[in-house]
Amino acid sequence: MKRDQRYKAGIISSLIPSKFSVERWSYTVHRITGVIMVGYLMAHIFETFQLGGGSTAWANTMAALHSLGPMEMVGLWIVAGSALYHGGNGIRLVLNEAFGRLMGKPILPVYPYSPTSLGRNQKIAVWTITALVLALWVWAGVYLLAGIGVI
Amino acid sequence: MDKITLRVTRSGGKRASYEVKYRKGMTVLDALTEVREKQDSTLGYRHSCRMGICGSCGMTIEGLPRLACQTQVSSLNTGTINIEPLHNMEVVKDLVVDILPFFDLHRSVKPYLIRTDLKERDQSDREYRVLTEEVEKFLQFDYCIMCGLCYAACPTAALDPFYTGPQAIAQAYRYMADPRDEGWEMRVNLLDTSHGVWRCHVAGACSFVCPKDVDPAKAIQLARTEILKKRILRKRPREGSKPVSPPVAGAAKEGVKPPPFDFGGARK
Repeated sequence: MKRDQRYKAGIISSLIPSKFSVERWSYTVHRITGVIMVGYLMAHIFETFQLGGGSTAWANTMAALHSLGPMEMVGLWIVAGSALYHGGNGIRLVLNEAFGRLMGKPILPVYPYSPTSLGRNQKIAVWTITALVLALWVWAGVYLLAGIGVI
Repeated sequence: MDKITLRVTRSGGKRASYEVKYRKGMTVLDALTEVREKQDSTLGYRHSCRMGICGSCGMTIEGLPRLACQTQVSSLNTGTINIEPLHNMEVVKDLVVDILPFFDLHRSVKPYLIRTDLKERDQSDREYRVLTEEVEKFLQFDYCIMCGLCYAACPTAALDPFYTGPQAIAQAYRYMADPRDEGWEMRVNLLDTSHGVWRCHVAGACSFVCPKDVDPAKAIQLARTEILKKRILRKRPREGSKPVSPPVAGAAKEGVKPPPFDFGGARK
């Protein structure tokens, strides 16, 4: 099937999780945090690459970073949150994908339907990870932002 | 609520609004039928059974892929209902999408029992025995009506047109779990690709919209574990169950004739 023939609204709606279950939200956040981490990794490689230019180049790079002011630490805080969520949710996904855990066993569907793959265990896992990540992210925020007087 | 407004996305992306008189128990399909019969005979949509069995009336209603015949207007809690064609498929006309590529994906996973002994398959006078606990492993996935809602909801299918899709993978797993089937290895090889099971990221949208609780997300993860067993544990394909002679009435007690049919007086 050629992509240009398909109804374009599908591509747009694939980015919007509203009206779906919490797992669909989790999928979207997982992807966004993944993109943030890839961006950070590339920036980090570029930054360390400056070491090859000697101490002056490194000092200039650091000066450029510090010139961002509070945004430097805010950026790091966002990266920390991304890494926490991506890692935590990644553990749930490994349990789902590699071991078939949290998905439930095949059942005989009885109306009103309630898919076990989106059932209680899955919801508990998603919300536990979200709560843990939020708690750690707040702690990371205190650690990173308190020193620069943002909070 | 006396009247409802249907905002239908028609061919070319234009939106048309229709006002319909609301009545208790009205489904979205009823409302569309009323529009086509009384207001606009050019409105295109597909339907057949009107009772959630054929799976033809799939469309995006209020942002979610649903069967129009099973969606009560009252359940939407709005006086203005937005209706679009199913996503991730080519539009033929208005709400009618080309579902053939979706059927091709279904066909690509060989959704039928595969037996290696062709003579046995074609000329057998015996039958395959399946235990109840074996049936329970695949029966849920057998309820698929191929409506395409899971494929339309899948964010991965939106971004990868070559993705096998939740419906086809669920059907592949349905036969992988069937003890009569001998195509396990063939299906594992079909799914073990970059556009196969590994493309799924467990968004769960397919299971969320499935009108029959087939739960494709579960089937995909179970298929993955099967593939990992082959790759890591070197699991070998099992042999399909052997055919057995069908039971003969009265054969248990030799010499005893089976009882005559009792029609309960219905034919008297």
